[in-house]
Order: sequence, then C-alpha cells, then structure tokens
Amino acid sequence: MKRLPLLATLTFALIIFSNCDISDSSSSIETPEIYEFTRNGESTVSFSGQTTRLKMATELVQSIHDFDNSTSELLLQMFRNEGLNGEDVAPFNNEELNTSSKSIKSKVAASRDYFSAKTAVSAEIRSDFESWLTQVVEEVYPNKNTLAEPGVSGQIADGNSVRYVNAQGFEYDQLVTKGLIGALMVDQMLNNYLSTSILDEGTNREDNDSEVLVEGKNYTTMEHKWDEAYGYLFGNSANPESPMATLGSDDVFLNKYFGRLDNDPDFEGIAQEVFDAFALGRAAIVAGDYELRNEQAAIIRSHISTVIGVRAVYYLNAGKEGLSNSSPDYGAIFHDLSEGYGFIYSLMFVRNPRSNEQVFTKAEIDSLLANLTQGDGLWEVSPATLDDMISNISAKFDFNLEHAINSN
Amino acid sequence: MRVSVFLFIILLTALFGGCTGDSTQGPDVGDFDRQAILTNWADNIIIPAFTEFELKSSNLTEAAIDFDQSPNEARLDTLQSAWKDAYLAFQQVSMFETGPAMTLRYRTQLNTYPTDTTEIKANIENGDVNLALPSLVNSQGFPALDFLLFGTGSSNNEVLAFYTTNANAQKNRAYLIALTQRIEDLTEAVLGQWTDTYRDEFVANDGNGANASIDLMVNDYIFYFEKYLRAGKIGIPAGVFSGSALPSHVEAKYNGEIALELFNEALDASQNFFNGTHFQSNTSGLSLADYLDYLNTMKEGTDLTALINNQFETIRAQASTLNSDFAQQIASNNTEMLQTYDVLQRNVVFLKVDMLQALNINVDYVDADGD
Repeated sequence: MKRLPLLATLTFALIIFSNCDISDSSSSIETPEIYEFTRNGESTVSFSGQTTRLKMATELVQSIHDFDNSTSELLLQMFRNEGLNGEDVAPFNNEELNTSSKSIKSKVAASRDYFSAKTAVSAEIRSDFESWLTQVVEEVYPNKNTLAEPGVSGQIADGNSVRYVNAQGFEYDQLVTKGLIGALMVDQMLNNYLSTSILDEGTNREDNDSEVLVEGKNYTTMEHKWDEAYGYLFGNSANPESPMATLGSDDVFLNKYFGRLDNDPDFEGIAQEVFDAFALGRAAIVAGDYELRNEQAAIIRSHISTVIGVRAVYYLNAGKEGLSNSSPDYGAIFHDLSEGYGFIYSLMFVRNPRSNEQVFTKAEIDSLLANLTQGDGLWEVSPATLDDMISNISAKFDFNLEHAINSN
Repeated sequence: MRVSVFLFIILLTALFGGCTGDSTQGPDVGDFDRQAILTNWADNIIIPAFTEFELKSSNLTEAAIDFDQSPNEARLDTLQSAWKDAYLAFQQVSMFETGPAMTLRYRTQLNTYPTDTTEIKANIENGDVNLALPSLVNSQGFPALDFLLFGTGSSNNEVLAFYTTNANAQKNRAYLIALTQRIEDLTEAVLGQWTDTYRDEFVANDGNGANASIDLMVNDYIFYFEKYLRAGKIGIPAGVFSGSALPSHVEAKYNGEIALELFNEALDASQNFFNGTHFQSNTSGLSLADYLDYLNTMKEGTDLTALINNQFETIRAQASTLNSDFAQQIASNNTEMLQTYDVLQRNVVFLKVDMLQALNINVDYVDADGD
C-alpha cells in the first residue's frame, strides 16, 4: 500500500515515455530480456575497462583497514595504479590489475559534462580521496589499539563490529567507498557515457547508422559508449547479460546500494526499470532510434540519482534516530553518518533529469558537509543539524521522505 | 539495531495488528498492571541474579589472585571450580542485556566464543592490554579463561606447568587476574547501575510502545533465547547455519564436559523468567505467563502459556539425551543436537510470533547484514 504513490508516479512517467515512443512510430523495438547484442554471430558488448576499475576499487577499499600490510604509499598506488612519479607499480593482489593501463583516479570526477571545463574542481575531488587515503594511515593506524573519544582517533564498538574512526568519529574507508559511488560510477555513467556529448560525438551517429565499426572491434563507438555506462552498474556481475539475479551482491558500490533500494517495497522494481532502460536503449542504438535511446538514458539518470539521494537521507536519519536514544550507541551512529557523508559527497555527481542540471555543486556539498565536521565532528553533531541537512537534500528530489528513511 | 528497519517492522506489524485487532474481544493489553511485572522482574529476578553472579565473579578473582600467590594444584582446582560456578551463575544473567548491560556491551565481553587463542597469547606477550578495546572481545571473558584453565595442557599437571615452569609463567598468571578482574568490574558496574538509578527508571517506564521497559526487555529476552540459547549453544555448533557441524564452536570447548550443564542452567533461567519465578526460589510473581493468561491467549484452541511451558519441558527432555560434552555429542550423533535445535525453534515461534502478537509488542531486531 505504501509503495503505491512511487510506483504510480513511475508508471505514470513510463506511460508518458511510452506514449512518446508510439508517436515516434518506434514502438516496434521491444525491450530485450537480456543484455546480449551480436553482429555476425559475435557479441558486440564490451565493458572490460569498467570491470577492471570495479575490481581495483574493491581491492582498494579492502586494503584501507589492513593495518598489517597497508601504507599510505600503497593505498595511493592502488588509487593511481602508478607511483608518485608516474612509475609503474604493482599494488594489487590481482596481477591483471597491475598490468592494466587503467586506474581509478583517472576516471574520478572525469565526466565530459561536469568536469571537462572544471579541471580545478576535478583536481580538488581527487585530492579529497587522496587525503582520506593518507589520513587514515597517519591518524588511525597509530591509534588502532586506542579507544576512540572526542578528539582522539581509535576504535569504537558497533554491536559486535569494531569501527576505526578519526578524531571526529569518521571512518575513512566509508568516505572512500561511498564517495567513489558518486565520483567514479555515477559520474562516468550519467555524466559521461549516457550523455549526448559522448554518444553523439563527432561522426558517431553516421557511423552507427552505417555500422562503421571501431577498428579491430565488433562494435560501433556509440554501442560501446552505452555498454561502458552499463558496466559501471553491472560490470562485476556474475552473469552480466542477465544481472538481476545477483543484484546487490556483485560489488560494494553502486550495485550493492541499488540492490538495497530495490529490496525496499517502496522502491521495488526500480532496478528492473533501469535494466530494461539499458537494454532498450542499447536496442534503440542498434535500430538507430536516438530519441528512444535518450528517453532510456533519462530513466537511468533519474533512477540512479534517486538511489544516491535516498541513501544520503537514509543514513542521516539513521544517525539522527541513534542520537535520540537515551544511551546513544556512538559506534553505530558514526558508522551510519560516515556512510552518509560518502553518499552526500556523491550527490554532487547526480543530475536532475528534467533540467539536466547538476543538483549540487562541489561548493554546495562542501558547505553541507561542513555541518558534520565542526569541532569534535560527529561526537557533537545535533539531531537538529541532521534534520536540516535531510530537508536540504530531500527538497531537491521527488522521492517520498518517509519512504527514504524507512528503507533498509 | 537499524532504526529504519525497525520503523518498517512497526509499520508492517501495525498493518497486521490492525487486521487482527478488530476481531479480538475481551481484556485489553493496556489494562494489565505492567508495572507489577517490571517490579517482579527487577526486584525478584534480575537484581538477585546479578547480585549472586557478582559474588561468584568476585570469588573467581580472588581464586585467581590466590593462585598467583601460590600456583599449586590445589589452588588450580579451586580456581577451576570458581570459574565453573561463575560461568553457571552467568547463565542466569546473560539474557538481561538491557539498560546498563547493553550500554557496556556486557555479554559480548564476557562470553564471546570460540575464543581466539592467538590473540590471547599476543595479549599475554604484550602484558599491558586494554581489555575495553572492542577488538579484544575474542580474547577475554569465560571462553578465554576456559582455554587458559583447561586448554593449556592435556592434564592439570600440564596446565599447572603453564603457570609455574613456563618461561612466561608470571605473565600467564597476570593475564588470568586481568580477565577475572574485568568480569568482576563489568558486573559491578551493571549491578551498581541497576541498584542506583536504573531499577526505578525501569519500573517507572511501564507504558507500552517501542521504548517501554516491557517491550525492550521482552525483545532482549527473545533475542537471547533465539540467538544465544538456540543458535549459540546448539544450532551453530550443530551446523544448522553452516551446513557442516562446527564442534569447535561449542560453549566451554576446553572443559567440554560442562556444556550441557551450562545449557540447562540457561534453559531454566529462560523458563523461570517467562513464569516470573523468583531467583533461586519456588515462589512466583507476575510475568509473561500471567500477562498471556490475563489476555486469555489461545493458539489453535490451546492455552498459549501451557504450550510454551510444555515446549520448555520438551526441550528439557530432549536435552537430557545429550552427552554432557556437546563436541562429543556432535561427533557421535549430531542428529540429537539438530533435534534439540528443532524443539528450541518451536518455542522461538511461540514466543516471538504468538506471544508478541498477543502482547502487541513489536520485534525490534533483525538479522544484521554486516555491512
């Protein structure tokens, strides 16, 4: 019952979209059930670069609290896949990642739409990640056997888990993990590969129409760009052609939280809609129907942006509720708010599907996050402050606030 | 606990509750004297049980100190007995992980098993470790003492050598004292808070709702029954959750012969709490059984209180077939362990589904997803 309004809205939106399809007489394109596209009997789908980056990011975040083996140098090498002076390095356990020419850093805050003319902002964002990776080693490692308290980094219990926090109560690994969801996955997907500035760049449309393939490949440039967007959500899936069965457990980034939202009755179905939009958009590219393709991109942008907004609000609220207990469980609260911090950070990469505009600028996000880092940080943040932040964020989205804070 | 999930459950339960509530006739949950239950729990069960356990834990510390002064076989025997007495007494308070105990993460520090022997040895080597660190719950409490007092040699002579002729003998003894002292300190803190202020707060908070004492305590009670009695003592070692049996996960692994005794003590404590039986007495006061009777709660034509008490008897009867050492039971015939789990599970359903529905109490915990 509670999910009706959202589903109704989504359904309504879809009806509008599909009506457009019909008026374009492109209704003959059916939504493929699996993400499989071929030419001359060979697959045309490729997103190995995205899979590589997902694997690199996975190893990176696993290493952040590996007190015995990690150093700030190693963490930075994993982030850059090169040394401080650009030399070749081998920081990963997976040898394939070491020999790859790709890196996480080169695609952080690197989308065409948001950062091609904002390289200074992009550099600031990359520097935020590098600071977190350095600070965790400098601040938290020496205090790994110290009890955390206001102004003192160390460990704190969250149920049966141990959390390692900085002097303000933040877990750096959560900042990095949740921050990458926005800065790497969402930014590349929504603001780069699904953007007409990339899809229709140069002669892409003509090439796609006449099936001019990329040299040595079985795909057109446009097909490939679309697949690369797909790869940031499903690139580490056990079965990437039909990824819904393992949704939520294929990585600890966008896939995980997309699955989380989809499991909530209030948002159930959102993942299938995104998968369908990817599949139909890809089929539209094959058929040369670019309007239909753009409509699918709009659905993906809207839903992916919703995921980030909902998770940001959800964690802020979880922290607020925790603080309202007579004996607050600070370990649990700090964990929630550290995740929240990362998702708020990620909000600067989402977009408003109607206006096609950025929802929050980096400066706006910085000032929002400054609410959490006053004085002793999370040790002294007030429920009222968290409430203000929730209002500030949810005002920019269409989702139902109750649905967001009730999610799981 | 995740508050949002919690709210969601409230919502669900509210929806379900709305359906059944319309057809319910007779006495109302709100009319029962909940404060009388809370008073009985606090004054006749919880505080007496903690008082008794504090005494036992103080004896344990004393025995460790005596042993340190003259590490001989007689004092080792005394220390081992004091450990067993305290471990049994702990079974009477473990379920009360509410209020002060919850804030202090009491149960986790006293009884996390299997214990981590590598970490124990590292702690001994370091000499001065802070046992308050959350990362050290696997190397303290009763399970760590179990290893130190029974697992450091294959006979008491060998165990004694660990504290006398071993190169680290003095540090080994010092760690014994540190662990016993930690148990006593935490217990004093919990009992102290109960007697200072928490008892009155607890009794005064007699409303109904998610933050009322009765809702919180009943949830903690069922959580204990489900996660610690059913899963921890039986289900996990029997392999219910892992597919294959995990005999190394039994409680009191090194002094294995007391596993059944610990289980029975915990089972008695659970049933006594349900019936409001005063600590170490045959007298009963008000409790969940009376509350259900007052509401005249029936399940499929049978009185729910009787169903639950009968099921406690069924569990007791089934457990009486078990080897006193659960690891041996698992090795010889794990089916008996699994059957014990099954009869425990039936009471989880009676308590968690039927009782909570009758009392209009919502479950406030879900299985953590561990992210």
